[in-house]
Order: sequence, then structure tokens, then C-alpha cells
Amino acid sequence: MKAVNALPAAVRPPGRVAAPPFADVVAEHLDAVYRYLVYLTGDRAAAEDLAAETFERAFRSWRRFDPRRGAPRTWLCRIAHSAAVDWFRAEARRQRREESYSRDETALEESVFAEGLSPELDRALGRLTPAEREVVALRVLLELDGPSAARVLGISETACSTRLSRALKRLEEEMSDVRI
Amino acid sequence: MSASDWSELDGYEALVSELRANPPVAPERLRQRVLEGAPATRRQRSRKRKLVLVVVPAAIVLAVGAALVHGFVSSGSHRAQVYFNPRLAPTLGPASTTPSAAKSSGKALERGVVHAKSGQPQGVFSRHDSAAVPSAAQAFELLPARGAVTIPRNRLVHAVASLQVGVKSSNLSAKTNEASQIVGSFGGYAQSVRYQATHQGDGEAFLALRVPVQNAQKAIAKLGNLGTLLSQQVSTQDLQAKLNDQNSGIGSLRRAIAVYENALQSTTLSASERVAIQIKLNNARHALARLRHARNGTLASGATADISLLLTTRGHAIVAPHHDGSTRIGRLLGSAAHFLALEGIIVLYAVIVLAPFLLLGALAWWIVRERRRREDRLLASA
Repeated sequence: MKAVNALPAAVRPPGRVAAPPFADVVAEHLDAVYRYLVYLTGDRAAAEDLAAETFERAFRSWRRFDPRRGAPRTWLCRIAHSAAVDWFRAEARRQRREESYSRDETALEESVFAEGLSPELDRALGRLTPAEREVVALRVLLELDGPSAARVLGISETACSTRLSRALKRLEEEMSDVRI
Repeated sequence: MSASDWSELDGYEALVSELRANPPVAPERLRQRVLEGAPATRRQRSRKRKLVLVVVPAAIVLAVGAALVHGFVSSGSHRAQVYFNPRLAPTLGPASTTPSAAKSSGKALERGVVHAKSGQPQGVFSRHDSAAVPSAAQAFELLPARGAVTIPRNRLVHAVASLQVGVKSSNLSAKTNEASQIVGSFGGYAQSVRYQATHQGDGEAFLALRVPVQNAQKAIAKLGNLGTLLSQQVSTQDLQAKLNDQNSGIGSLRRAIAVYENALQSTTLSASERVAIQIKLNNARHALARLRHARNGTLASGATADISLLLTTRGHAIVAPHHDGSTRIGRLLGSAAHFLALEGIIVLYAVIVLAPFLLLGALAWWIVRERRRREDRLLASA
């Protein structure tokens, strides 16, 4: 298993800990952040906007980033989580205002998560809750370890583990239902 | 990373491998958008930072600058200002200045009342009904030596002096009598004498003296020699301008009266005109009498000098040590520090006043944050 949470040697000079250049961070973690947001929101367009917003926020506070306190990926995911929560809140308000869901079930039935996924898995992912997809994205796609994923989600490690187990189990069940 | 970290994935290998094999890939436009957006935010951030970096030091520099300007203005180039209210002298308690200190600072402290800045010195001229305020030129600046006291003789002035003289306990009574004799020898008199002493002779004698103004200078010098001169203040009030006005007014009234009298001798006047002129004549005569009386008062006031003499066995001075003995730089820094302290008090006051609002704001912020966290939890459990 690849240990993505471990900092690269270049990022951790002996003695003083310096943050890597922001462009390098973008190059290395943009895909991961985008994947996480696609899974969390289930909306590629929204994920693009949120990813851009995430890196904008990250750039603003990049000087305050301390690599000793966590890996850049974890830090970026926390920012992305916060941006996504704001987006969900705004969406909820908008939906209440319009009294209809702009993102209907047919949209979720389309291949929104990834091009190469089987239609069953894609639909099953769409039937999960955002929280379930979020934990799957963090633990499976981004390969964050338990403590890091728990930090991003703002929950305990045990809760994170439980949520992942339930999400995977439900994902399998949903896939079975789709096949049937 | 321990194997137990990934134990949750056991049993879902096929699912996990499919998910990992087909991850969503960020489009190139997003990559460009992120990389292009960074410099813009950098400029925005630097502007905010620059604003903070400019505003905070500017506020500090402004506060310190204002304090220094205040210190520079208030320190001034003049020296000490000493004022002694003779009415209060007999009832004053022990002062902080010790006899030894007084001796070490030149044995005697001689000061003139400086009223160039404030106009009329408080107390000294308060018992006169004259509205004239002495000018800076008429005021006596600090007098470095005892013999330097001068009272102008070419103009009508009212002089007020107060002296505090330290005498030995055994001499208090004799010196009190001597002071009366000195004043008498200069054509003056003791308006009132108040003598308070214990049976050992310790105490004070307060004398309110009046001396012809032309002899006031000599009398002050002699009274100061009765013992150790502890403090001396002399101030004058110019009455010449007032006297000139009164003389001018008297001349005008006299001329008016002459015109009215001539008019009344005319035979062509009607009865009503005669009555009107007669009334005007009477008013003018009445005004002339009042003005003459006022002029007599002015002349009397300018004829004598009021001298308040305090003979004391305590040997201390009632001196307001305002800036005394300090350099201008010292005064400037002291005044600036005082002003800075005042600014600090204002800021503290503002903080105290704003504290309830800040607390309410913090409470509101905390409530909003908790609400957001709750919504996050609800979102996670949705």
C-alpha cells in the first residue's frame, strides 16, 4: 500500500521545515482534490469550481501551512471539505427557494464519477449519501490513512472506520440491486 | 502504515481495485484555472497585508507624534511659574519642601508671577473691579536676583506682591513689629495683622500691607531682608489705559454739559425741547459724577501696592514646583509621556465601552460556528 501521507524527503529538510512550492503542490494534488470533490458532490462542474476555490483558499493561507502538522493532501482535503460544505449549504438554500431539485435522479444515473467505471458501480455510487461517498473517496481513492481521513471529516477514527465499512457494504448492495 | 489501517477494505478488493483503476481526472482547464488564479490572489493578499502594515505603524507614529508635539508645545521656553495666594497663606499646612532643600537651591526662591500665557493670574487681581488685563510686557517674568524687581513709574500701575519670609522662633514677634515699622517708614500702613504663635514662639504672622507704589520696590526689598526669603511674587496691573479712558470720558461729558447749558439759555426753545435738554443735562452730570468717582478709585488703586507678607518660623516655601529645575527636553519628554498615557487611557476607555459589544460579537460568532458544525454533522449523516 502506498503511503501518501508520508512527506517527501524534499519537503522535509533537516532542522527547519519548509513548505514546498505551491505550483508543485498544485501539480501533485490537484487530481486528488478533484476526485475527492467529484465523489463528495456527485457533480463534476461543481467539483471543478470547488477545486479551484480550494486551491485559491490554500494559496491565500499557504504561508501559514506547516508541513509538520500534516501532509499537504490532508490539509487540502480539509479546505475542500469546508468549501464543499459551503456549497451544499448554498445548494440546500437554492433548492428550498426553488422547491425543486436541480440535480435530479436521472442526472445521477449518468456517468458522473469517472469515465471508466462500470455503469453499475457509477449508479451505485450515485445512490450513496455524500458522506458515504466522501469517506470512500478519502480512504479508497486518495488512500488517506484512518487518522488523516478522520481529521478531514472532523470525526473520530472509529467513526470514520465504521462509516467506511457501511459505505462499502452499501455500495456492494446497491451494485447487486442494479444488476438485478 | 500498519496493515490494520486498511483492514476495512478486506473483502472489497474487487470494488476497491475498480474504483482505483478509474479515478476521475482533473481536466486541463481546471489546472490552468488554478495556476492562473494564484497570482491574482497573491496581489489581493499583498494589498491587504500592505494596508495592515501601513495602517498600524501609521497609527502608532501618529500617536507618538501627537504626544511629542503636545510635549513640545506645552513644555515652552519659559521657566517655573510660582504663585502664592496670600489669603490662603496663614491656613496652609506644612509643605513638602524642606528648609534644607530651600537652602540648597540658593537659599531663597524668588519668583515673579508669569501671566503671559494665561492672562490674569488667578487670585492676585480678583479683588479689583478693573477689567484691564495685564499684558505680557507688564508682567514680571521670573526674576533671577532679589534686586531685579522693578515696578514701572512712568505709568499708573497697581502692584501686588506676596512674600514669605522665614524667621527664627525667638524673632517672630519682633519681626512682625519691624515689618509694620518698615511699611510705616515708606508711607504705608498695615491693613491687617494676624499673629499665631505657640508659647515657644513657633508660628506664623500674616500681614496685609499697603505701601505707596513708588516706594513698593524698596519696601519689598527691606521686608525680604527680615529673614530668609522663601518665596516672592510680584505682579502688576496696568491702570494707565483705564485712567486715560476715564479722563477722555470726563472731558466728553464736560463738553456735552457745556453744550446743554448753552442751549438752555436760548429763548427760542419750546417747552418740550427745554425739558428734553434738561433731562439730558441731568443725565450727563450724573454720568460725570460717576466717572469722576471711578477715576478717583483708579488713582487710589494705582497709588498703593498691596503686599502680603507671611512671616513663618517653619522656614518652608509654598512653592508650586512646576517644571522647576528641569530642562526643556525633560519637560518635553514628561509632557509627551503624560499625553501618551492620556491616549492610553482613552484607548482603554474605548475598550471598556466596546467590551460588551465585542463579547456579544464573539458570542454570535461562536453560535454561528456551532450551527455550521451541526449542519456539517447533519450533512455527514445524511
